[in-house]
Amino acid sequence: MSAETPAAGAPAGVRPLVAERREAGMPTPLVGMLLFIASEVMFFGGLFAAYFNSRATHQGPWGPPHPAPELEILPVALPITIILIASSFTMQFGVWAIRRGDTRKLKLWTAVTLLLGVVFLIGQLYDYSQLGFGISDGIFGTTFYTLTGFHGAHVFGGAVGLTILLARSLQGQFSARNHVAVEAISMYWHFVDVVWIALFTTLYFLR
Amino acid sequence: MRRFAAGTRVRSVLRVAVPLVLIFLLGGCLMPPTPETTQARDVFNLYILVLALGAVVFVAVEGMIVYSIFRYRRRDDRLPRQIHGNTVVEIIWTAIPTVIVLVLFTFSTLTLARTEAKAQNPLTIEVDGFQWQWTFRYLDANYTVTGTPTNPPVMGLPVNQPIRLILKSNDVIHSFYVPHFLVKRDVIPFPPGQPLNQLEFTVTDEGTYAGQCAEFCGDLHARMTFTVQAMSNAKYQQWLADAKAGKSPPPAASVAPGAAEAKLVAKGIAFDQQKLEVPANQAFSLTLDNQDTVQHNVSISKGQQVLFRGELVAGGKSMKYQVPALPPGDYVFQCDVHPIPAMTGAITAK
Amino acid sequence: MATTTLSPRAESYRRSWVLDWLTTVDHKKIGVLYILNSFLFFFAAGILALVLRSELAVPGLQFLDERTYNEAFTMHGTIMIFLFVVPVLAGFANYIVPLQIGAPDMAFPRINALSFWLLPLGGLLIFSGYLFGGAAAEGWTSYNPLSNKTYAPGVGTDLWIIGLSLVGTASILGAVNFIATIFKMRAPGMTLFRMPIFVWTVLVTATLILLATPVLTAGLIMLFIDRNYGGSFFEPAAGGNPILWQHIFWFFGHPEVYIVILPAMGVVSEILPVFSRKPLFGYKAFVFATIGIGLLSFSVWAHHMFTTGVVFLPFFTFMTALIAVPTGVKMFNWLATMWRGALVFTTPMLFAIGFISMFLIGGISGVVLASAPIDFHLQDTYFVVAHLHYVFFGGSVFGVFAATYFWFPKMTGRRLNERLGKIHFWLHFIGFNLAFFPMHSLGILGMPRRIADYSPNAGWTIYNLISTFGAFVIAISIVPFLINVVATLINGERVGDDPWEANTLEWATTSPPPPYNFDRLPPVRSERPVFDLRHRHVDEPGHAIVAETEAQP
Ligand code: HEA
Ligand code: HEA
Ligand code: CUA
Ligand SMILES: [Cu+2]
Repeated sequence: MSAETPAAGAPAGVRPLVAERREAGMPTPLVGMLLFIASEVMFFGGLFAAYFNSRATHQGPWGPPHPAPELEILPVALPITIILIASSFTMQFGVWAIRRGDTRKLKLWTAVTLLLGVVFLIGQLYDYSQLGFGISDGIFGTTFYTLTGFHGAHVFGGAVGLTILLARSLQGQFSARNHVAVEAISMYWHFVDVVWIALFTTLYFLR
Repeated sequence: MRRFAAGTRVRSVLRVAVPLVLIFLLGGCLMPPTPETTQARDVFNLYILVLALGAVVFVAVEGMIVYSIFRYRRRDDRLPRQIHGNTVVEIIWTAIPTVIVLVLFTFSTLTLARTEAKAQNPLTIEVDGFQWQWTFRYLDANYTVTGTPTNPPVMGLPVNQPIRLILKSNDVIHSFYVPHFLVKRDVIPFPPGQPLNQLEFTVTDEGTYAGQCAEFCGDLHARMTFTVQAMSNAKYQQWLADAKAGKSPPPAASVAPGAAEAKLVAKGIAFDQQKLEVPANQAFSLTLDNQDTVQHNVSISKGQQVLFRGELVAGGKSMKYQVPALPPGDYVFQCDVHPIPAMTGAITAK
Repeated sequence: MATTTLSPRAESYRRSWVLDWLTTVDHKKIGVLYILNSFLFFFAAGILALVLRSELAVPGLQFLDERTYNEAFTMHGTIMIFLFVVPVLAGFANYIVPLQIGAPDMAFPRINALSFWLLPLGGLLIFSGYLFGGAAAEGWTSYNPLSNKTYAPGVGTDLWIIGLSLVGTASILGAVNFIATIFKMRAPGMTLFRMPIFVWTVLVTATLILLATPVLTAGLIMLFIDRNYGGSFFEPAAGGNPILWQHIFWFFGHPEVYIVILPAMGVVSEILPVFSRKPLFGYKAFVFATIGIGLLSFSVWAHHMFTTGVVFLPFFTFMTALIAVPTGVKMFNWLATMWRGALVFTTPMLFAIGFISMFLIGGISGVVLASAPIDFHLQDTYFVVAHLHYVFFGGSVFGVFAATYFWFPKMTGRRLNERLGKIHFWLHFIGFNLAFFPMHSLGILGMPRRIADYSPNAGWTIYNLISTFGAFVIAISIVPFLINVVATLINGERVGDDPWEANTLEWATTSPPPPYNFDRLPPVRSERPVFDLRHRHVDEPGHAIVAETEAQP
């Protein structure tokens, strides 16, 4: 509680509020995105908890309802998984590009990522149409469609973000110094990817 | 000088207030009903311990608040000493609650181990909670009783004999609660294959104890009452015999073949019709097709007087009641289990 | 005080004031909107409570049938929690936190506006069930299977789900905003351990919201899927498990109760030092206790499920009771702050003292409930209702009124009338105890909660009657409060920028503060920058204040 001499010229004990508010550390929008992702982690945590709880208390074999075929990895699930993981890399290439100030590469990689995301979504919808069971077919169907469906919705949200990113980069709004939005969307995209890896492992392997 | 005066005033106020508060606390208004099972006595003692600990904390903290209010009232413009903390007292007042918590935890766990222990040869009753009443099935004695909101059931029990309740529900969650036993247990529709909840106790005193569903279960949750009647073993055997005898259904009124028929479908806790018409002065048959998962029945009444009370029909079943002749006029029919508007209607005899 | 010359505002750009308020992104206006909106919902839910109490006053069904009663307590609980206490505290936080950390606004002003506007929308959706064949009637906990389509076919329950999801989303967005603001927008010199305690409690609260509310959202979505798309999360017949809902709900629900108490504790921790003229005793211990409560709150949820027979009782008993330790630390810190202080009993101080003395009772009854064997008796009885009102009302709501009286001069430049304030306090305090203390007895005697009617032979009538009387005394106490607010706004005493001789930065600007809050900031070298300004030699005991205090306008 020691008192210092106030800045000269200012009224006693008060110093002018200079605009020297330092932007130290992470930019505020990124902090916001990280926090938002934390809440999303808890959201998916809730869904996963429901899945594991149901599985633990469920009697009898766990899987799609009887007449429906088993979940198969090869035709759709594995390819779209690879596509989504790849899109995380392409996204990151875009981020690195803009950090160097390479706007052309940013546009390219953003477009590729968006494309991969859309392919993933189409693949997932196609998979849904082939599975032969629905959300109301017992507890497995309910958890399966809820988890993958909400993940899909998040991919869709990410794709919307990528579209905006692409539009803005086509207008030349980003530079090596100013590209917070790119970083933020890429974080989100990586998050969505990680969720899918967890989902894929849970639904297709740990069964 | 004024300070000193205030101090003594505080002390004299406290000297009166503290014992008063204690008497108030312990003097009944926070006392549970007399415990009537071995387990309940155990819980009762635990409760007294916890209440005493709580009372000590309450009196100590509230006392310090009141003391500060009188003692440290601002008197002049001098600034009191600016104390920012004191590690020693802070450690002490972290330690004391920790000890209290440990005491409470230890005694709770010990009590729990005793009250949850399983008996060797208990008398087993299956308790079936449904919207909105109870069925008690005496598994060893082949006796079943089902209550209605207007006519809640009685559970007769022998004293000094371990009882085991198996708690079963096919609709929503209920909770079996007898305040005098200081215990309740939820009656849960578990997924098939999962073990049902059980509750064990040994009643120690003869008497009649009120019971009630304690988990909110919909419209008539408040009407899920029942009574426990604890008796000596001899009386219990007599009670059981009487109950079984009284339970045999009254001989059905015979109906001439080809007589009038009426039909009601129960679905979604509602009857398909709210108006029925039957011929007057003539026995008729009434079919109740229960398409719900819960039980229903039909009873017919005029004013307060019940003229016909149909047996309960389990979910998915159908039953043909034989209803005695009704004089011409307007009557009310309803499901005794669900006396709500959707399961009430008018019946006219012409 | 210093700091004041406002640059004249550019009036020509201003639109009509209605539009201005509707489109504002200024944290102070949004804060005021939050507070006004919450009080409206408080009155609505309070009137529902009076309806409940009237029905329960004596045995028999007098005014309502069971269905309406069930709708009433469901709406009462839901609205009080989600549209009154949580948002009203968020409103104060909105107004005060940027000021207290010396920031010009929140980190994301537009998201801030969005999270406010979702609230009235969500609230109206929840209430609109009344227009579409009946509001939700499954209790604020909406247990399954009771809330399944089979047993709750009405659309009211769906509206309840949608409304709550919106409100939940609003508070998640708000939480992101608060945390980002507190981490990124602090004035120079405002280190984490110099932040006012209120800011700390808001930080921890926001973290709890961020981590707990999404789980509720997930649960609500599952419920919605079960109800409307044939899902079977909670459907035992199809392999689901109704207990899952309880786990999800309480995993959120228990942190939720600290979400509504921590900021109120923060308010009290601002007020007690000011009116005791001492610093908060054990600042750091208080901060760590707050963080400790936050952490523990995620490990106790199943104490709401003791009687389900499917949870591990000793663990949850222990963790629950353990929360008494950090809470006790806070309690004793408050006491020690008052101890040897120079206490003035202004209305905010009265409400703050009311808080600690009433919250204590709620805390102790909580610890009684924490003991599993005792909870077997008391669960779902009026003892729980008593507990929850002692912590919600005796705690949070007392805190809300303390904050209202304390910060009203900051928001308007005028101080609420002290005489009316004291009438309000005493009626409130007495009415509160009359209304809710007898509920302890009712619960111990075995009266279940959520019943519209009870038997005249049960021996519960006298307690119910007292309780109903108390509820109406509370209602009457609101009248002097409302008169006070209106009269003060029209013609209240103007009291300058720092009427209470307070400690924290919000008092270093004008009342009400200008857009973007500060022209100049005092240096921040402790958690009491404004106090430091006023007293340069505080460590000398017996030092006279008057000499050092700058003249009040
Ligand atoms: C603001 C809200 C709030 C707060 C702060 C609390 C705080 C606590 N609550 Fe409460 N609680 C609710 C809101 C809250 N609760 C609600 C709404 C319900 C009902 C929900 C429903 O079913 O509808 C509920 C229900 C509830 C139950 C379940 C009852 C049941 O349904 O069977 C339990 C059981 O353990 C419990 C325990 C506790 C405990 C131990 C605390 C502790 O945090 C209290 C700690 C504080 C103190 C103990 C006082 C100060 C400490 C000292 C002076 C130190 C020394 C003291 C001791 C060692 C005893 N609460
Ligand atoms: C913050 C939370 C909060 C608050 C403040 C209150 C406040 C009150 N509560 Fe509430 N209550 C809950 C949260 C809260 N409650 C919860 C969570 C439940 C459980 C619900 C459930 O079981 O699902 C519950 C349940 C509950 C019950 C149990 C119902 C039951 O189980 O059957 C009762 C019964 O007495 C009750 C009563 C009251 C009363 C009398 C007040 C009073 O203190 C209210 C005082 C306020 C007023 C009286 C309003 C004043 C307004 C005016 C006078 C109008 C003036 C307006 C204009 C002029 C515009 N409450
Ligand atoms: Cu059954 Cu309440
Ligand atoms: Cu809790």
